[in-house]
Amino acid sequence: MKPSFRLDQHPRRWPQPLSSPPAGYFEQLPTRVMDQVAATAPVRRPLLPGWLWHAPAYVRTSLASGVLLGTFAAALWLGGGPLGQPAPAAPLANVPQEQLLDYLATDAHLTTLDLAELPAQNLAFTRHYLHPSAAELTEALDAQPTEEAPVL
Amino acid sequence: MEDHEILLKFQNPASRNLAFNHLVRKYQQKVYWHVRKMVIDHADADDLTQDVFVKVWKHLENFRQDAQLFTWIYRIATNECLGFLQSKRRKFFLPLNDVGAELAAKLEADPAVAGDAIELKLQRAILRLPDKQRLVFNLRYYDEMPYEQMAEITGTSVGALKASYHHAVRKIEDYVTNADTPGYSSDEAD
Repeated sequence: MKPSFRLDQHPRRWPQPLSSPPAGYFEQLPTRVMDQVAATAPVRRPLLPGWLWHAPAYVRTSLASGVLLGTFAAALWLGGGPLGQPAPAAPLANVPQEQLLDYLATDAHLTTLDLAELPAQNLAFTRHYLHPSAAELTEALDAQPTEEAPVL
Repeated sequence: MEDHEILLKFQNPASRNLAFNHLVRKYQQKVYWHVRKMVIDHADADDLTQDVFVKVWKHLENFRQDAQLFTWIYRIATNECLGFLQSKRRKFFLPLNDVGAELAAKLEADPAVAGDAIELKLQRAILRLPDKQRLVFNLRYYDEMPYEQMAEITGTSVGALKASYHHAVRKIEDYVTNADTPGYSSDEAD
């Protein structure tokens, strides 16, 4: 019967079982590592100034909280409100005027009060509607229903 | 130079390079041999050892001394080794046995082992272990590292490490005893 191999009875090759690296390897390795470090990984500048880096943890935590709150408050203040809704005039200006007129003529239910509050932004456009020709006036009056009682 | 001195000097930009040079000189042999036993080939071990120290350089600023410096460096070296072996398998779609066979071929070419039949068989048996178990075996058998320190490096409990080591010893003894027996096969998975 073949004798069993026992690891604890085997003369251990200590400290290493493999052949040594080339002569002078460990003398050169630090220089090669330093060269590689200099070439591939420049010194990373710390994000914080030195005095802050060495400050106690509670000081850094308080400062970080202050900066965070300040940023949030500044964002609120500059944004004009928590929801930061955009000004309604900006997107409306991008809509072609034909589409606006079409919407006002067909879908929107406007009162005279709405019309009175409209700013006269496009004067030429407004003037066109405020100074109609006689034919346009006649056409508009003819289109009015005649059976309604006049409002006095 | 003591570790705390190295760390203190490293924080100062004026003495940073000097401190790091000391660190490399202090730990290079341990790191190299730790890596070399895992990848066998000197060229691979050389590349990985340099990678380990570059990583140490990059992250030493954030080292918080809640672990020993040496343990921390060993952990980086261990992760580099395991990552290297894993990527080798993924790259060439090699199963466990083929990487083991490749490492064994390199081992057989090593003049320090080639002439000793029992030693060669022992080294082959060690190579047949799964990577993590081989790592545990090397740390315990060759480096005589305490289990507590191994637990810090590997992130595994002391009990699990002890079990892994004893299981590894059993598998190695079984292989060296029976490898020449016709029809012998061992379960390599762990």
